[in-house]
Amino acid sequence: MTHPLSYHDTKPVGAADFYFAINATFRFIRETLGAEALRAYWQDLGREYMDPVSQRWNAGGLPAVAEYWRAFFAAEPGGKVEVHEQKDRVILDVQTCPAIRHLRAENRTIDRGFCQHCYFVSEAAAEKAGLTVRVKGGNGRCLQTFCPKEAADGPQKMEDIEKAS
Amino acid sequence: MIGCYDFCGHYEWTFEWLRQQGGEVLVHQFWDKAIGQDSQRHAAALIAEKGFAGMKEYWAHTLAEEAAGFTFTEKLGVVRIDMHKCPSKGFLLRNGLEQYSDYCDHCIGWIGPMMKKAGFQVHHEHNHCGKCWWEFRRSSDSSPASDTGILAGQNDVRLHEDWAQHDHSFDVFRNAVDASKKAGSPPSAGSLQRFDPMTQRHGFSAVSRQWLCYPPPAVCHRDQTTDLTNYEQTL
Repeated sequence: MTHPLSYHDTKPVGAADFYFAINATFRFIRETLGAEALRAYWQDLGREYMDPVSQRWNAGGLPAVAEYWRAFFAAEPGGKVEVHEQKDRVILDVQTCPAIRHLRAENRTIDRGFCQHCYFVSEAAAEKAGLTVRVKGGNGRCLQTFCPKEAADGPQKMEDIEKAS
Repeated sequence: MIGCYDFCGHYEWTFEWLRQQGGEVLVHQFWDKAIGQDSQRHAAALIAEKGFAGMKEYWAHTLAEEAAGFTFTEKLGVVRIDMHKCPSKGFLLRNGLEQYSDYCDHCIGWIGPMMKKAGFQVHHEHNHCGKCWWEFRRSSDSSPASDTGILAGQNDVRLHEDWAQHDHSFDVFRNAVDASKKAGSPPSAGSLQRFDPMTQRHGFSAVSRQWLCYPPPAVCHRDQTTDLTNYEQTL
């Protein structure tokens, strides 16, 4: 059986302090290259680094999407996420975002656009599989809906994604 | 969402993305500013405040959390770290990920400037296969790097047969406080050998559980990842 995650570590759960570096990377790119570059970074990451994920989603459809996110959040420390698999969509009910939780617990200043990365990275990865994503909420709790493009309820409204703090 | 489980993968990918935007200067700036001064500011604070004791406190936590195979040696006026199984480079090797020319440079890229600010200087070598060593001394201490085995005894990574066993290059840093002060260079692209699924010639050896020092593949291929998955399940 193929592992649902494309890249594997020898330990079951990642090191939470790496969220510091993810947050710092977003801030660095925004401050050094600008907001548009940060969006481009997220989109490139979704298209290129996550290409193996896109391929699995393309081959396996929504069940592969659900399987991926279940495995993904099982390997992230401190989060509480339910993955609901429906006929025409997969909904991630992020009740406690593991990254926001850890950054807050360690008194880190969270990049205000942190939650937007979930949309831009996932949308770029999903697009290659004929899917799309809509994100609503943020700042520690959100809903992320993955579905075929034709099943989406309109475009992503950026105002639906909360600024992180 | 991008996560911390495969952090080293997208971290390494990010180096090459940054290089394409602004060259090596931007990559080095990223290591210093984003990693050293922002992400790892807790390390900078500990070491600036407590010196050698702060180094021990920081790396004992972070390397344990990352499940590293390392030894920490403290002698009068010097701290030495021997990294036998770098979890970060190990992740990249196992998964066949290599976008940037020399991932290992990122450590001195943020540790070097941090140590300079805290009043320390660095001797360091890495072999691009998950092994490296570090020696930290006060900036006023002009001692050369220790001879093999003198500080760390049998834990000295240079004593291991796979430290220099294969056809790969070392990067050497002496009295260095940033990644540009390199004596030596990474393997050229032409010398990179792809993962061989028949011989399984990179990643862990199931027999010795030591790193095999073959250069990693230039890019990740999904079928190789699948091969590695199966391989890991046999360990």
